[in-house]
Amino acid sequence: MRLLGTASLALNRIWATKIRSLLTMLGVVIGVAAIVALTSIVDGASQGINKSLATLGTNQLNVTSMFPDALSELDARALAELDEVSVMFVQSVNEGTIATGDTRVNARLVGVSSQYFEAVKPDIAIGSYLSSSSYAASAKDVVFGGDAAGDLGLTKDMLGKTVKLNGQDFRLVGILDDQVGFGTSGRVYVTLDAARKLFSQYPYVSSIVVQAKTPEQVDALQFSADALLRERYGLTAEAETRYTITNQANLIAAVGSITDTLGLLLTGIAAISLIVGGIGIMNIMLVSVRERTREIGVRRAIGAKQSNILTQFLIEAIVLSLAGGVIGLILGEIAAFALAIIGDWVFAIRLDTVMLALGFSLLVGVVFGVWPARTAAKLEPIDALRFE
Amino acid sequence: MGDEVVRLDKVRRDYLVGDQITTALDSVDLVIERGEFVAIVGPSGSGKSTMMNLIGCLDRPSAGTVMIAGDATNSLTDNQLTSLRSKAIGFVFQQFQLLPNTTALENVMAPLLYQGISPKQAKKSATDMLVKLGLGERLNFDRNRLSGGQQQRVAIARALVTGPDIVLADEPTGALDSKTGAAVIDLLKELNKEGRTIILITHDLDIAASAPRRVFLRDGLIERDERGAA
Repeated sequence: MRLLGTASLALNRIWATKIRSLLTMLGVVIGVAAIVALTSIVDGASQGINKSLATLGTNQLNVTSMFPDALSELDARALAELDEVSVMFVQSVNEGTIATGDTRVNARLVGVSSQYFEAVKPDIAIGSYLSSSSYAASAKDVVFGGDAAGDLGLTKDMLGKTVKLNGQDFRLVGILDDQVGFGTSGRVYVTLDAARKLFSQYPYVSSIVVQAKTPEQVDALQFSADALLRERYGLTAEAETRYTITNQANLIAAVGSITDTLGLLLTGIAAISLIVGGIGIMNIMLVSVRERTREIGVRRAIGAKQSNILTQFLIEAIVLSLAGGVIGLILGEIAAFALAIIGDWVFAIRLDTVMLALGFSLLVGVVFGVWPARTAAKLEPIDALRFE
Repeated sequence: MGDEVVRLDKVRRDYLVGDQITTALDSVDLVIERGEFVAIVGPSGSGKSTMMNLIGCLDRPSAGTVMIAGDATNSLTDNQLTSLRSKAIGFVFQQFQLLPNTTALENVMAPLLYQGISPKQAKKSATDMLVKLGLGERLNFDRNRLSGGQQQRVAIARALVTGPDIVLADEPTGALDSKTGAAVIDLLKELNKEGRTIILITHDLDIAASAPRRVFLRDGLIERDERGAA
């Protein structure tokens, strides 16, 4: 008998016992759905984290400090002079208030140096970035993050109008479209000079970002930046510093290894549930072989070879498992889609996930179907026919 | 010598039951020629089931030779025995034994498909056979929608469809009322008139009487071999 005929026998049987087949598949359904959903979570999460980190670019170093006076603009200028540096910008993050009309809320007022927008390129919704003329004139211009703009209910027609930052008048030139990773949420941006006027006390430098000319130079840059800052503060190579130099690439790698481990762990758990699902299929197949002993006897009597019986039962197990895999895949992708919406990351059906899910369920069908199928094939026809 | 389809030479079949050897058939000789209608008759335990299994190529003898359609079964592998069975034997069982979840047509197609015949050809042959046995209207009925007599006719169609050398009917009327049973026997007689070799296994002397030759078994031995009207 041809394979197709045998497959249709298996399908007939599965269809004839729909409820039972569905319950039998359940283990594999859950296992595969778990794999698919978990892969997607790990993917989405690391995607989000990496995007946050990669916003600044992988060839960038971030020099930060918890102390208000640890870093100065002079440090920044000195760092910009290093051979490896292509771009440098400074951020000065301060708490303050933003207001328009009667509405007044707290926000982070961020002074940024002129190269910030060009280097980070946050998505803009309305208007423009702080322009070079804003910098040249030390103009009191402000770009709102989307969140902050929402808090004040700013709209397109407010462009060019006045908003108050810490009670001072500023001209609204743009509103950003807050995206995961850019860190613009809840912030408004002004020039460093303007920030200095807002905070006479301490418009200190919160972070200095330096970008290496090539990604290969990042490590060298980290070394020379550290050496430079130590020299400026008269610190020996071993002394504690009051600043931290963060290498984006290292951070990404570290996050990557964490998510890899997490992925492995979750896959392990999912694999266990697949094995449990497989045992469920094997169990039902063994019961089925026993229940259908007479049928096997009759089939043998009318000319079925051992191999025909083996194939029939093996295909039945594989179809059960594979069908479970397909249902699990669909459920898993639906779950992944929902999670992507909740977690605000990009949903994508990955081919390798699909192959993995189907491959695993096929494997489960074969591995756990062989024994019952062999049991069926090995039945002696006369014993099988006599079986009550 | 005529055309022998069954030849048993000094056939013995022992079974191990627990640690005891039971001899179900003991040194039995029997020849059945093509075109015969033979009833093998005996009470339970007489060895008739064992004989059916041996003739049906479901089992091999412990000693002696079983020749079916010219082939000795003793030395055949499981696969070879299956091939011989598929080619030479058509089974009709007491409980009809139609396959579950399959239609009449699919039942009759099954032996052909196991022989490797294409589904298209198998469907045609199976349909022809069912039409011939008066089941043309019920091709797509499954066994739950067929009466006992209809099920047995489907089973007979399934036995005949491969054109076997022997139709081996094991108590074919056992699960039928007497009227339907008689119709089945008439059908077997008719098939015999067409030249088919029919071997009827039964414990029922009345049923056996419808066969022109009757082989009586008792305690694993052939007690009598009668020919002519009972």
